[in-house]
Amino acid sequence: MNVGVAHSDTNPTHSYLNSKGIWLTYLLIIFIGHLLVLSIPYFSVALAWTLTNVLHDLAMFVMLHVTKGTPWVTSDQGDARTQTQWEQIDYGQQFTATKKFLTCVPVALFMLASFYTKYDSYHFIINISFLCLSLIPKMPQLHGVRLFGINKY
Amino acid sequence: MSSTMAILPATWDMYDLVQSFLRTPTYHLVVEVCLVLLIIKLIFSKSYKPEKMVLSEKEKEELIAEWTPEPLVPDIPEDHPVIQLMEKNIVTGPPGKYINIRQKSCINMATMNFLGMVANKTIEDEAVRCIKKYGVGSCGPRGFYGTMDVHLDLESKLATFMDCEEAIIYSYGFATISSAIPAYSKRGDVIFCDEGVSFAIQKGLVASRSEIQFFKHNDMEDLERLLQEQAVKDKKNPKKAKVTRRFIVVEGLYLNYGDICPLPKIVELKWKYKVRIFLEESFSFGVLGEAGKGVTEYFGIEVDQIDLITASLENAISSIGGFCVGKKYVIDHQRLSGLGYCFSASQPPLLAAAAAQALMLMQEDPGMMIKLRENCLKLHEGLTSINGIKVVGLPHSPVKHLRLVEPSDDRDLDNQTLQLVADRAIENKVACTVARYLEKEEKFLPPPSIRIAVNCQLESTELDTVISVLAKSFNEVFAL
Repeated sequence: MNVGVAHSDTNPTHSYLNSKGIWLTYLLIIFIGHLLVLSIPYFSVALAWTLTNVLHDLAMFVMLHVTKGTPWVTSDQGDARTQTQWEQIDYGQQFTATKKFLTCVPVALFMLASFYTKYDSYHFIINISFLCLSLIPKMPQLHGVRLFGINKY
Repeated sequence: MSSTMAILPATWDMYDLVQSFLRTPTYHLVVEVCLVLLIIKLIFSKSYKPEKMVLSEKEKEELIAEWTPEPLVPDIPEDHPVIQLMEKNIVTGPPGKYINIRQKSCINMATMNFLGMVANKTIEDEAVRCIKKYGVGSCGPRGFYGTMDVHLDLESKLATFMDCEEAIIYSYGFATISSAIPAYSKRGDVIFCDEGVSFAIQKGLVASRSEIQFFKHNDMEDLERLLQEQAVKDKKNPKKAKVTRRFIVVEGLYLNYGDICPLPKIVELKWKYKVRIFLEESFSFGVLGEAGKGVTEYFGIEVDQIDLITASLENAISSIGGFCVGKKYVIDHQRLSGLGYCFSASQPPLLAAAAAQALMLMQEDPGMMIKLRENCLKLHEGLTSINGIKVVGLPHSPVKHLRLVEPSDDRDLDNQTLQLVADRAIENKVACTVARYLEKEEKFLPPPSIRIAVNCQLESTELDTVISVLAKSFNEVFAL
């Protein structure tokens, strides 16, 4: 589906990430975000990369794994009210191209952050914890699972 | 390796970075290798594509050729009872106290014209004045150029009359309650509803997509049992309970049973189990209570105790439309989420003006309600003396159902028997009707009956005629 093209799916979350240019847009947003963080005076390169990684993982966690339902369109009448965005992508199928891509980006970002922080152990701990926050909820085994009932309703 | 963030220099060149890469600690190396393996696995494993429906031109043409449109109106046999009745029962002139049906002037016992507002001269004059000023239609929904001063006027008058903060009017009585319920109750919420509610409420329940729990008609013990069950469920799952709204939906005066809901007990249960009450007063508004304010006035209960009151303007008021009253913040919610309010053209101004005029007449003369009550009691007493039928409904209810004491197993047969009675009554100049239902769609189909509506303008002699004609018709039909 392309955004702005007529379709009969009541829930655009199923397919909007497969639209043309969405992946590129996502990467560009990360890049611009990193440049912004880097442009703040007194922030070292290492700190800027760690911050980029942390902010990215946090933002994606909230957007993909905390937000439920369809945030913009209500015509699905609450069918997806109990599903997170990640669970709705590609109708809940696992290992689709979009889901693979969304998994690879935080990993690549972590590797870049590790490289630019000179494999420093403090930065490593912070970066790996936020990477886990981003990767663990994406596991197929956790589809529809709400650990400790958090965010269940 | 063992450096802190503070010691890290602000910038390095690529040489430094590569040097540190070569001296990567082992644990880090292990993690990175794992991650690289993950990426490799993801890239080289099979991608599951979300299903895409792409039809070839040939398939498209096949589908188009296969498709036959359903007729807009289904084919109905010529001898369908409804069609026959429609041809037979041609009404001319206004259906007031007397109605011209089958070219006979009959006493009208079929129209819900409780206060005799139909064909009232002052109401007609007011409507005509309004047509001259505004034209016939409002040409748009309320939020889109459809609001006229008469709408606002009627809303404020209704709110004042009902002692509520705010009122909202709908353009159709049926749409009022069926829009009001889904405006508040959504998927995941729970509605406790009486089994005897009318069709408009049933449609509202369906549209809300909520969980519906029916309790037996006017059975408060059954309602309390359901509320207790819900309380147990809520205790088990408090997080879910926190986001679940609970409603009780009852009618003030039941159209299908002619009895009144036990409101004091319902209000008591409301506070005990933390539920909201929606009260549908289409048949009690203008009928019950000294001033005609409905069930709340009848039981002497403060309107504040009820969360939402809705009523149709099509019965006692004899206009077209409906209204809801309640707290300001409750009613205002409907201005953006009452579907019938947002997406329907507003009430034609002439009907709003007619309703306002009828409301004024009602306030000016509370004697109407007293006369109506007297007529109801007198008619009830007379009808109960007829053999072979039972009168369902309270003595002072203006809606009464005459049911067979010994119904057969066949619903159609009973309906035919009652239709014969109604036909004979019309022959003898008393117009009454068999209660009609969408039999396949009703949730709990009431037994067949002749439905009698009482008008406050009927004189004592006229009531005697009605009773004797009905008694004669029943006796004749039973003797067949």
